[in-house]
Amino acid sequence: MFFKIVKNDFKRTKIITTAVFVFITMAVILAASAINNIANLIQSMSELQERAVPADITQMHSGEFDQAGIDQFTEKHRENIAMQETMVLLTLDGRHIHFGKNQTMSGTVQDISFVVQNEKFDFILNLDNEKLEVMEGEVAVPIYFMQYYDLKIGETITVKNGDYEKEFVISDYARDYEMNSSLTSSKRFVVNQVDYDEMRKFQVGEIEYLIEFKLNENGDSLAVQTAYIEAGLPANGPAIDGKIFLVFNALSDTAVAMVIILISILLIIISFLCIRLTFLATIDEDIREIGVMKAIGISKMEISKVYLNKYRMMSVLAGTIGYLLSFAIVNLINGNMKLYISSDLSGNLKYVLSLIAPIMFYFMIVMYCKKVLKRIDKISVVEALRSNIMERGKNRKYSFPLQKNKWFSTNIYMGLRDVWIRRKLYRLLFLIFIVCTFIIILPINLYNTMNSPKFSTYMGIEKSDIRIDFRKTDTITEDFNKLLEEIKNDSEIVKNAAYVTSSYQIKNTEDSWDYINIEIGDFSIFPLEYLEGRAPKAEGEISLSYANASKDALNKRVGDEVIVKVNGKEKTLRVTGIYQDITNGGKTAKADASLEINKEAVLWYIVSMDVAPGVDIHEKMNDYQNTYDSAQVNDIKEYTQQTLGNIIEQMYTMVLGGIAIAVMIIVLITVLFLRMLLSKDMSQIAIMRSMGLTSKNISHQYLAGTLTVLVFGIIFGAFASSYLGEILVSIAMTFMGAAKIELINVAWQTWLLCPLALIVIVGITIFVSCKVAVKDDLSVTLR
Amino acid sequence: MSLIVEARNMNKKVKLGNDHELHILKDINLEIEEGEFVSVMGPSGSGKTTLLYNISGMDKVSSGSVKFKGSEITSLKEEQLARIRLNNMGFIFQDINLLKNLSLIDNVMFPALVSKGADKHAVNLKAKKLLKMTGIEKLANNTITQGSGGQLQRVAICRALINEPDIIFGDEPTGALDSKSTVEIMSILTEINRKGTTVILVTHDAKVAAKTERVLFMLDGNLVAQKKMSKFDRRYENSKNREESIMKWLIEHGF
Repeated sequence: MFFKIVKNDFKRTKIITTAVFVFITMAVILAASAINNIANLIQSMSELQERAVPADITQMHSGEFDQAGIDQFTEKHRENIAMQETMVLLTLDGRHIHFGKNQTMSGTVQDISFVVQNEKFDFILNLDNEKLEVMEGEVAVPIYFMQYYDLKIGETITVKNGDYEKEFVISDYARDYEMNSSLTSSKRFVVNQVDYDEMRKFQVGEIEYLIEFKLNENGDSLAVQTAYIEAGLPANGPAIDGKIFLVFNALSDTAVAMVIILISILLIIISFLCIRLTFLATIDEDIREIGVMKAIGISKMEISKVYLNKYRMMSVLAGTIGYLLSFAIVNLINGNMKLYISSDLSGNLKYVLSLIAPIMFYFMIVMYCKKVLKRIDKISVVEALRSNIMERGKNRKYSFPLQKNKWFSTNIYMGLRDVWIRRKLYRLLFLIFIVCTFIIILPINLYNTMNSPKFSTYMGIEKSDIRIDFRKTDTITEDFNKLLEEIKNDSEIVKNAAYVTSSYQIKNTEDSWDYINIEIGDFSIFPLEYLEGRAPKAEGEISLSYANASKDALNKRVGDEVIVKVNGKEKTLRVTGIYQDITNGGKTAKADASLEINKEAVLWYIVSMDVAPGVDIHEKMNDYQNTYDSAQVNDIKEYTQQTLGNIIEQMYTMVLGGIAIAVMIIVLITVLFLRMLLSKDMSQIAIMRSMGLTSKNISHQYLAGTLTVLVFGIIFGAFASSYLGEILVSIAMTFMGAAKIELINVAWQTWLLCPLALIVIVGITIFVSCKVAVKDDLSVTLR
Repeated sequence: MSLIVEARNMNKKVKLGNDHELHILKDINLEIEEGEFVSVMGPSGSGKTTLLYNISGMDKVSSGSVKFKGSEITSLKEEQLARIRLNNMGFIFQDINLLKNLSLIDNVMFPALVSKGADKHAVNLKAKKLLKMTGIEKLANNTITQGSGGQLQRVAICRALINEPDIIFGDEPTGALDSKSTVEIMSILTEINRKGTTVILVTHDAKVAAKTERVLFMLDGNLVAQKKMSKFDRRYENSKNREESIMKWLIEHGF
């Protein structure tokens, strides 16, 4: 009996039922895949951590080095430190690494270093998560470069610097727990000890030290870091807490999972709306039957069951299919994880955790259905059986009389007033249109923002035509000075400013010393937009990046003071401003040129310049790149794109995905909504047709109504994506160091292209739906 | 007088399920002259309403020919039929069938406003005049939930008349009304017919049929008989006598 009722009901509402079924299945697939991904991430991250044994504290250092002192320190702090190992990095510029057909890695913004495998911990692994063993003449290439330059095992790379030239065969890819992520700006190539020694002998690169500590189980990381600084041991580079690597590794996969869960929640909401639409339409159609059932004594519980059971069965079926399919679909989203974290994602946790999605959705759907079905309780027998008669006698306020219409054709006016009269019903469609516009416009705005030169504001860089970076070469200072001299004589350069970044010690909230990178220069030439306050312009002034000024870092506001150690002497600086910066972990600072440069710890030099009008920027860039081949010459857009790497590409995919999903939802919901509306209005449509209105006239009414709702939906959706979207993006970016993102809104895309496209799509959908609906013989409905 | 409706060998079949077919109208031949007042009678299920819908082009005939004012309408497209319905025909239903979200006067005005080149002011005046003629001008701005059955049926008549049709089709227009309203509605329809508009209506009620000048009798999809009378004029004739004569005639033919 039950199956018969469900089967009959399905036959009657085939399209809408199929759509709801597809939505639920898709929602379960997505949610289960996302949970599956998170389960995989938890399991494989712990496995990777177990195999790679990452350091808990990593202190970077270059220059003079004292291992004996570090050993002594380690012994002294045995209660906290389990192991210590120093990895010596041979860092070299990308232009020294050749591959393919005369290509070099000079374009990369990553710092490249060659290392040998550690002995105690912080192991670099192969794709099977085994400790890499590299033979003489071979190299293991970081996964990042393998993807970026499309390097294959068996191919060769050649290291050339001065007299040294050696070809290495790529034997493996290096899965590096600490430096996998593109957010970590260094990458380690692993070579054999013999090759490494030879490279050092030829002084192929600069030496940098990673002084690494593995703590005991309950070791106090902060205590060790403080003690290390106080002991005056080598520490002119940043100190990195091991926890940050976990965040970096898990970040992109977690973000993907979160986005997918969000989409699946959206799908469930849409399923709810469809269920609501179906129920409203079915109950409206069945009102007499419900009355009859009530009249012959069937309880409301039993009546609800007739409707509810269909959705119970559907949820179980869709949940099962979705759950099973999720194991296939998850492969589409776990490529990154397979590459960077674990090639073997066969853990069992996912089978259990993924069950959460179908079970949760089942209960959500049943609860929602019960809520909607409460409407049945309110229908009295008489009302149900005499629904037409009961309508009479109700006094409603009459709005928008036809006589008052001066501007529109009667059919369009009828459509518009229908929206007003049945605004509660159209509210549903309005919400969907807002959501879909939001889904389309927010990613477009985000993509435009990331692609815009203005995005440099969030990277702590001033907008300029060209930016030249000097990093880690022997001749860095000479090159820099030579460049400044050359710029002075270059009449095509109208504006330029030089900045030097060096590492200083700064007093933290606990009165101990931390390291901070401070950029020094004249910040008035290329002004940066400040979140609060202004750029430093006089002696004793400093500005901090948002992440540095935040509560869990230095906890400073504009007007506060900070104490910095400059060449051994303490100096008090006043904070004049706070700016946004997502580079270098978000923690940077800028000070006026009067602050002495910490010559021992210069990290990099930057020159920004604007060319005269009419000068070809790219030609100028090439000129400088050819003269200073150790420098990186970029325009700001290029710099942004390289630093953000594939995030921009991912955004592009999201834009396309957003558009596809939104269009699909908009077409489906419009069709479903119209079917419901037309079936509700069947008799009214027949009356109009009997009077001599054509199906075209009737389509015009629905077109006018629905398109008006769409136009308002687009307006609200566009504003929501501009304002609410901006807030959401800013919240998401806060932890990266940018707290106030202003999304770039390209007017012709937001207010012309997107609305036009949506209007055309919805227009066609309505027209086709109405055409299909008004075919029957009139007598069938009028009698 | 020329013919306004002419049906030849008209058949209507409806499919029920896979193999079952219902033959509702069987080879109907019918002529209605301009200005005539015709009623169709017969037991339930005899095909009266289907006859009305098929000669008015609201339904498509299964076979045969239907001419309206001399032009074949069975081959016309939906758009062309709609135009004829809008400009040349008026309909009145048992269920009244007004548009529920419009006021009474807006219901009357609506068909005229959707006609091409409608002058809104003129339409408004005309609607008011019609409402006055049917005695409900004071209710013009009421909504349809505020009217009685008889009042609403008058609105429906005004709506049918607003585009000055050549013919009015009534599908049991008094079927849901009390006797007082029935008398009032019939006197309005008689008056309309007197002014020259052809009226054809389906009815169960011999009192209603007594006001018409020709009664068609249908049985099992066949037009079995017709009774021609003079135009009813209460000054010279007793309605009761006509009613009795119709009843007698119906019984003779197997009603």
